[in-house]
Order: sequence, then C-alpha cells, then structure tokens
Amino acid sequence: MLSALIWVPILSAAVLGFWPGTITPKASRQLSLIVASAVFVWSLVLASQFNPGTASQQFSEYIPWIDSLGLTYHLGVDGLSLPLLVLNSLLTCIAIYSTDKSIQRPRFYYALLLLLNASVAGAFVAQDLLLFFLFYEVELIPLYLLIAIWGGKRRGYAATKFLIYTAISGILILAAFFGLVLLSGASTFAYEPLRNYTLPLTTQFLLLGALLVGFGIKIPLVPFHTWLPDAHVEASTPISVLLAGVLLKLGTYGLLRFGLGLFPEAWSIWAPWLAIWAVVSVLYGSFNAIAQTDMKKMVAYSSVGHMGYILLAAAAATPLSLLASVFQMVSHGLISGLLFLLVGVVYKKTGTRDIDILRGLLNPERGLPVVGSLMVLGVMASAGLPGMVGFISEFLVFRGSFAVFPTQTLLCMVGTGLTSVYFLLLVNRVFFGRLSKEVENLPQVQWSDRAPAIILAALIVMLGLQPNWMVRWSETTTTTMMLNSQELTANSQPF
Amino acid sequence: MTQFLLETSWWVPLYGLVGAILTLPWSMGLIRRTGPRPAAYFNLLMTVLAFLHGSIVFRLTWNRESFELVFHWLKAAGLDLSFAVEISQVSVGAMELVTGLSLLAQLFALGYMEKDWALARFFALMGFFEGAMSGLALSNSLFLSYALLEMLTLSTYLLVGFWYAQPLVVTAARDAFLTKRVGDVLLLMGMVVLATQAGSLNFPDLYDWAETAKLSPTVATLLGLALIAGPTGKCAQFPLHLWLDEAMEGPNPASLLRNSVVVGCGAYVLIKFQPILNVSPVALNALVVIGTVTAIGASLVALAQIDIKRALSHSTSAYLGLVFIAIGQQWNGFALLLLFAHAISKALMFMSVGSIILTTNNQDLTEMGGLWSRMPATTTAFVVGSAGLVGLLPLGGFWALRQGVEVFWVSDPWIVAVLLLVNALTALNLTRVFRLVFWGKPQPKTRRAPEVPWPMAVPMVSLTVVTLLTPFIMQSWSPLPDWEYVNLKAVLLLVLSGLVGCGLGGTIYLHKAWSRSLFLPWRFIQDLLGYDFYIDRIYRVTVVFAVERLSAINAWIDRYVVDGFVNLIGLGAIFGGQTLKYSASGQSQFYVLIILLGISFFGFLMSWLFDPSLFKTIFDGEFWRLSLSQ
Repeated sequence: MLSALIWVPILSAAVLGFWPGTITPKASRQLSLIVASAVFVWSLVLASQFNPGTASQQFSEYIPWIDSLGLTYHLGVDGLSLPLLVLNSLLTCIAIYSTDKSIQRPRFYYALLLLLNASVAGAFVAQDLLLFFLFYEVELIPLYLLIAIWGGKRRGYAATKFLIYTAISGILILAAFFGLVLLSGASTFAYEPLRNYTLPLTTQFLLLGALLVGFGIKIPLVPFHTWLPDAHVEASTPISVLLAGVLLKLGTYGLLRFGLGLFPEAWSIWAPWLAIWAVVSVLYGSFNAIAQTDMKKMVAYSSVGHMGYILLAAAAATPLSLLASVFQMVSHGLISGLLFLLVGVVYKKTGTRDIDILRGLLNPERGLPVVGSLMVLGVMASAGLPGMVGFISEFLVFRGSFAVFPTQTLLCMVGTGLTSVYFLLLVNRVFFGRLSKEVENLPQVQWSDRAPAIILAALIVMLGLQPNWMVRWSETTTTTMMLNSQELTANSQPF
Repeated sequence: MTQFLLETSWWVPLYGLVGAILTLPWSMGLIRRTGPRPAAYFNLLMTVLAFLHGSIVFRLTWNRESFELVFHWLKAAGLDLSFAVEISQVSVGAMELVTGLSLLAQLFALGYMEKDWALARFFALMGFFEGAMSGLALSNSLFLSYALLEMLTLSTYLLVGFWYAQPLVVTAARDAFLTKRVGDVLLLMGMVVLATQAGSLNFPDLYDWAETAKLSPTVATLLGLALIAGPTGKCAQFPLHLWLDEAMEGPNPASLLRNSVVVGCGAYVLIKFQPILNVSPVALNALVVIGTVTAIGASLVALAQIDIKRALSHSTSAYLGLVFIAIGQQWNGFALLLLFAHAISKALMFMSVGSIILTTNNQDLTEMGGLWSRMPATTTAFVVGSAGLVGLLPLGGFWALRQGVEVFWVSDPWIVAVLLLVNALTALNLTRVFRLVFWGKPQPKTRRAPEVPWPMAVPMVSLTVVTLLTPFIMQSWSPLPDWEYVNLKAVLLLVLSGLVGCGLGGTIYLHKAWSRSLFLPWRFIQDLLGYDFYIDRIYRVTVVFAVERLSAINAWIDRYVVDGFVNLIGLGAIFGGQTLKYSASGQSQFYVLIILLGISFFGFLMSWLFDPSLFKTIFDGEFWRLSLSQ
C-alpha cells in the first residue's frame, strides 16, 4: 500500500529517464502528470481508509533488509505523517502542472520531480531510522539537480550551498542515529523499539543537539537559514513551491518524530531554549522580510518566520500545540505554495520580481487582476486573517503554547503583526497604484496559469472555514504522542 | 414559523456574505455582457432579505427572554471553539441598524457609483462588510467577535483601497490596515491569555470567570489594555486614530458605513468586553483617558479641516471618544444611546456629503458655497443630520447627551465639562461647514449644481425622516423622562453649549484668506490642528523609522555577517585547496620531506600527549645541561 507511493513514481521516473526510444516533451509531461495524480489519488484513498481513532502506525509494511546493519524496510503512517504525505503528493501534481511547457530537457526534469516526490514520501513513512536517513539523502540529489540545471543566473552557487548545507544536516542526523543505536545497545534501527531505550541525560543532550542542528538546517532556523533565500530565488517556480511547501516540513517532521519522540526528557529540559530559538527565528525572519525588495526573497524569509511557529508549538509539547504544529505545517505548505506560484506567474509575465519596479498590477485591462486578487488572499492567509487556514493554525499554536511559554508565545505573536507589515507592503507596492511604464503590454494570463493557484486558494479557504477536516486525522496521534513521551520520561534513569 | 425565524436569525449575517459570493462572476470578469449591475441587484436583494428577516426577528424578541445559540466549530485536544450567538433585543436591534443602514447605503451607492466600472466588486465588498458587522452584533463569543473584527479590518482595507490606482488611496489603505492590525494583534494576545485562563471564550463564561478571577495586578492591567486595544483601533481613538481620516479617500457609501456603524461595532464589542474589563481598573481608566483625549483633540482638529469628509470624520472620532468615556465609567446605557443617535445622524450627513461630492466633483470646503437653493434635499439632510448629532434641538443627539450630562452630573462633573465642550465644538464645526458649503455666494464649482438623482435622493430623504423620528424610536426603547423630572440645569447647560457653538460658528469670519492666516500664532495653531497635531509625523520618525531601520540593519547583518561567515568558510576552503595544489611539485624528495616532517610532528605531538615530562626536561634546559656536561 504505502510502497506504491514510493515505488510507482520511482519506476516511472526510471522509465522516463532511461526509455531508449524518444518521448516527446508533451508525452513526458502527461505521463508524469498522470503518475503524480495517481499517487495523489492513492494517498487520498489511503487517507480515507485511515483510522483516525488510533495512534498506532497503520498500513505497516515490514521486510527485513540488511540484518547485520539492523536496517529494515519498515513503513507505516500515522496522524503526524498522513497530512504531510497528502500535501506532498498534491503539491507535486501542482508543481508538474505549473511547469513551463517548453522546458528544456523535459524527460530528465519530470523524472527528477517524480524521484523527489517518491523520496520525500519515503522519508515521511519510514519507520526505521536508517531508512529515513536514506530517503532524506536521496531527496537531496534530485533537488540539487533541479536547482542547478533549471535555476536562475546564480543557480550554481545556490545549488551548491543547498547541497553542502543539507549534506551537513544529513551527517549530523546520521551521527545522532548511530550514536543512539550504539550507545543504547539496540540491535536495530527500528523506530518504535528505540523509543523504549533510555540513555543518560548527557548523552541525550549530545544526540538531541546533533538532531536539532541537523533538522534546524532543513527547517530552516536562524542562523542556519541562509541557504533558503538563495535556493528559492534561483529555483524555478515549481521547485520553489515544492521546496517551501513540502521539503522544509521534513525538518519539522524530523524534530517532532525523532527529536521529541526519541529524547522526550532532554527535549522537555531544553524546551524553554527551543521556544526562545523559535522567537529569534520568527522575529529575525520577519524583520528580514520587511527589508527585501525581491518578492521571492520576501516570501522565503516569511517561511523562515512561519516555520518558527512550528518549533514553538513543538517545544511547548502540549497535546494542543502538537496538533497545531502539524496543522501549521499543512497550512504553511498550502499558503507558501500559493504565494510562490503567484510570484512565479508575475515573474513569468513581467520578467521581474523587483518590488521597486513593479506597480499597479491590479489594473483590470492590462495588468493581472485575478492573480492580484489571489495574491491578496494568499497574503491575508499568511498574515493570519480569519476565514483562512493560516488563522486557525496559528491560533492553535498560540493557544496551545501560551500555557507553557507565555512570554515566548506573545513575542511570536508579534511575528503575525510583522507578517502583515511586509506582505501589505508587497501588495501595496506591486499591485496597487498606477501601472508602471516598465511593465505595460503584459502577455495574457491563461486560465492554466491560474488554475493551480485557484485550487490552493480554495483549499486554504475550505480548511480555514472547516478545520475539522484536517484536525481529525492528527488529533489522536498528537495527543498520544505527548502521553507516550511522558510515560517514557517517567521510567528513565538518572545520570 | 416564528420559531423558525427566531432560530435562524443567525442567517442574517450570512445573507450579506452570500450576496458577496453571488457577485463573483461579475467582479472576476466572467460575465461582461450584462455589465456589473446585476451583481448590485443581487446584493441589494440579499440585504433586503436580511433586513426583513431581521425586522421580523426584532419584533419577536420584543417581549421575549434573550437566548443563546451555540455552534461547535472545532473540538480538538481538549479545546472547544464554539460560535455563540445571542438573540436579544439589543443585539438584534444593533443588527437591524446595521442592515438598515447598509441597505440605504447600497441604494445610495447605486447612484453614487453608477459610472464606476468595478461596481460589482464594490457591492461584493459592501455585502462582506454588512455580513461581518451584523455578525458582530449577534456574536456572543470573543473568538467569533475577534474573527469578525478581523474581517472588518480586511474589508475596510479593500474598500478604502477600492480606487487603488490613486497614490493617496494606496497609503490610506495601508495605514488603515496596519493601524487596525496593531490593535487586532494586541487583542489576539489578550484573547489567547483569556482562553488559557478562563478556558472558554464565550462571553457568559468569561463574565463568570471575571467575577472570581484572581490575577496579579500586572497581568490584569496588561490583559485589560490588550483587550481595549482592538476597539481602540476600530473606533479610531488616540493613538490608533489616524486611519479614519485617511480612509476618507475611499468611496463615499463605504465611508458612510464606516463613520456610522463600523466604528460603532468597535464600541459595541467594547461594551461586550466591559464585565471582563472589571478585572483591571487601569484599563477602565485608560478608556476614560483615551476617550477624553480623542474627544477633545478630534473636535479641535475637525475645526481646521478643509476637506468636507475629513471635517466630519474627525467628529466621528470625537463622539466615539465620548462613548469610550461612558464605557470606561460603566454607563453602557448612555454609550448605546449615543452610538445609536450618532450612527443615524452621521450616516445621514455622509449621504448629504456624498451628494455634494458627486454633484460638484469637489471635496474642498473653500471652493463651495450657495448650495442651499440648488440642492434643497441635500441641504435639509445636512441640517437634520447636524441637528440630530448636536445637543441643541430635541432630536437623538440631544437626548443621548442629556442622559450623559445627567448621569455624570454628581459623580464626575469634569466629564460633564468634556461633554459640553465637545458638543460646543461640534456645533461650531458643523455650523462652519454649513456656512461654507450651503451659505454664501456660489463659486465656480457650485454654480451648476442640480439635485441628485432618485437612487440617491430616496435613501437620503428616508433617512432624514428616520433621523427626525429618532426620539420616538428611543422612546419605545427606553422611555425618555417627562419634562418635570428632567434636570433643568443640565438641559440648559447642554442647550447653551450648543447655542454657543452655533453662535460662534455663525459669527466667525470665514473667508478664503482665513484659511491661511498671516498672523503667525494663528497660523501655527491652524497648521497644528490641520495636520492632526503632527501625530503622523511623530509616528513616521518613531515607530515607522524604528521598524524600517531595524529591518534594514537586520538584513545587513543577515547578508554580511551571517551569510558572510558562511561564504567566508566556503572561500577559505577554496583558497586552501587552490593554495595547497602548488605543493604537488612532482619531485619525490619533496614528498619524502613532507612525509618526514609530518611523522616527526605527529611523533612530537604523541609523545607530548603521553609523556609531557620529557618535554619539560627539554624546555627546562635539563636536557642541554646534561648533554653539555658530558
């Protein structure tokens, strides 16, 4: 069941990449779109079969792989990974659909996208530390190539920076995993059994520290974030959508699953500092976003800010805040995906993303009125206006975290105020005002340009009006996650 | 049937939203053939429905206990977020006022916005506006109220920014949104605190909690201040007041609603907060201070405005300041009465102003004059509206202010003084505006000024009648006292203050030259008032400057320190590699030398690590002494 999510895209990618005959660009696009849609539908089917009432792993698959290493092919899905899994397959569809039809080397490109989809899905469902790490590293390769080949002017710099950063992140994570297994004396890398081993607190701190830095690079948290704006600016639109929408979530997912899940005791001791780290990230990202003049950089820095909320919620680790952290992941995925898509349309039509040059794009005759309206919606969703998913997820984050970290939560809330500052500046400068001379005679926006954005916008509003549709999948898992951690903490040994 | 209508009274806010959604095909440009008018008609229809449904419910609530409807929205992880709706006489009455005024404003807009190509978008926003406001009137939960307040913020932004191509509109929309958002974020903080402390966000539960709450004084004060921050922004009170003045750049029918009911919504929410605010005396005092400062300051500022809409919008701030004082002093009845009277009169005055602007294409008071004979209905509307606002003739404003004067007569005489001062200043301002616009000689822009067409005249005249009937409406609501029981001194003082204001306004020298006096102290005062005490400049050099600098510095640090460090490491690695490649000379002697050096270095290192005493003897000179002495 779950393997299909991984192996169908990989096999199709292999076919696309290595098929000896010629495949026309159109055919390769259609094939990849069909595969991605099939994967999406399959993930929805899984979601419909998913039993939200239990916290245990569902649809488990278990195949022993390399016994001597302790590596098993063990997959499973719970309320923490299911929403992310669906989000991943949805955004992959959108990324493929919104790709430029006349893209260079289409076969390779689409094959890489499918590979990326498969490896991210694999990372979300892996129930074995080493298997997770494998997928986590595999995901790096297609993304590096996607930035380095189809990127902007400074793509080499950005892609290499991304590669080095993420490789370091991978090394730290691997080191923590090895450390855990060797020091605890466990014989396998399987996740569930490892949770029952307890280590002296100092060791826990060391391992958790490595994990925090490793995943902190991926999320990204200040000061490990500088790869993100560069990567976003150089990556093409679909890649930006995937990067912001799904790949950053690997970091927060890893923190919740492995940081909080494996080292609850050390986590709870460090939690106040993590919350402070979240505050720094939120405020630093927001203030930076205010000063940007490139629209894409602004959205990228806003990601830094908004991912900080997830760390805050994870640090607080109350049942509500954990639920909120999952919700905020999905909400940020949808909203930042929408914003990157729209920025991409603007860039495609006007040839620039510079806030100082663009002006008056809401102009109904010669501007981009529908794109502008969607942008206002996306921006407002990001700023946490009610009726859209950003509001309820952020409210749950704050409501869940306030009881534990009042000061830090209030400081993070300043971030929502700052979000409206920078995004309002963006909308006001780019879309309001008189249409500037530099961007007159824009090419027509097709409905195919707008369709993906409209789908995301509809989802944002629907989940904003009816958050139950999202919350019910994760509630049991996140609630019991905390209970389990408490149990585990209770029987740990002193150091 | 009646029961059904009562139980479905929460539909009323939805009508407006449905209307907004129905206009989408036109506002998005999907249907072009019919022009945007059908969208407007759909919206009007929905508003009529809302009004009718509301009035039936209003009739039904007349002699009935108020009751509450609760909808559970989100239940997760021990949290129960519910939308509570209160159906009571007051809440349904407020909703009725909102839908009624919205209906009139939309009718008025049909004429006022006739030639605008984006009519459909305008009506969609008006429907959204109406829905949010009437929802706010019914809401009985802090969570729902907050959400609706934010929706109001959003729709204010979009309505002010309706003519987004104009530079002044762009800044006005931005300031309106950001100012209100500051208040809203503070309110959100207060809400999160309350939710954690009280467990529920429905007002009845919060009231119960507030009665027994044990909070430290600091927390209580901060909580109270956070709660009043939201309404302060909504009601355009100092220090979050500047947006209303700028927002006058937006279309007039929206300004009409904004100056009458939107600001009122903020105050209405504040009245709902009032039992919670009792936990913090500081917050209540802050309300009184804010209200006093705004009431007097805005009345003064209004005197120096030459834009007709701005002259009126500052008086809105001033009246809402009086409402704030009333709420701070816990006289909610007076607050509601004043809000009601103000909403109706202000709406009427803005209709009159809208007619003037549409006819003359001009908002500058100094370029008008002599309109009374050309636009009789408009003139009547202005006069009746002014009379309904000021405490002089026995219309709404008089009765409301009279109650205020009486309730504070014994306890807080200084508030009576504030009320009288504001009344006098408002009367002065309105008389000034009246003289400039309607009296005097016609100027080029007002020479050919026909009365407005039917779609604008009908709502204007109907509202004129309603304004004249306000005392009777108030009578049926809470009986006005008989003349014998009225505190005659208070009434006399009130009328006197109104007369003084009108007298001053009628006699001061109004001339173009007056608008820029040559006498320097005069001119200073004029500029001080004309530029709102320069508060926007103060903000620009403090808050705005601070945020801007901070973000610039932050971006600099990010680019050159954080990222610079990363790049330095990269550069170091490349530089090291590039330099070391010259060490590969190809001569085997060289490699052997390097190997030898390396081995000896590590040999020394190891022996130093494992037997430091050996080195000690060498450095002590012991080794040399021994070897030399042999």
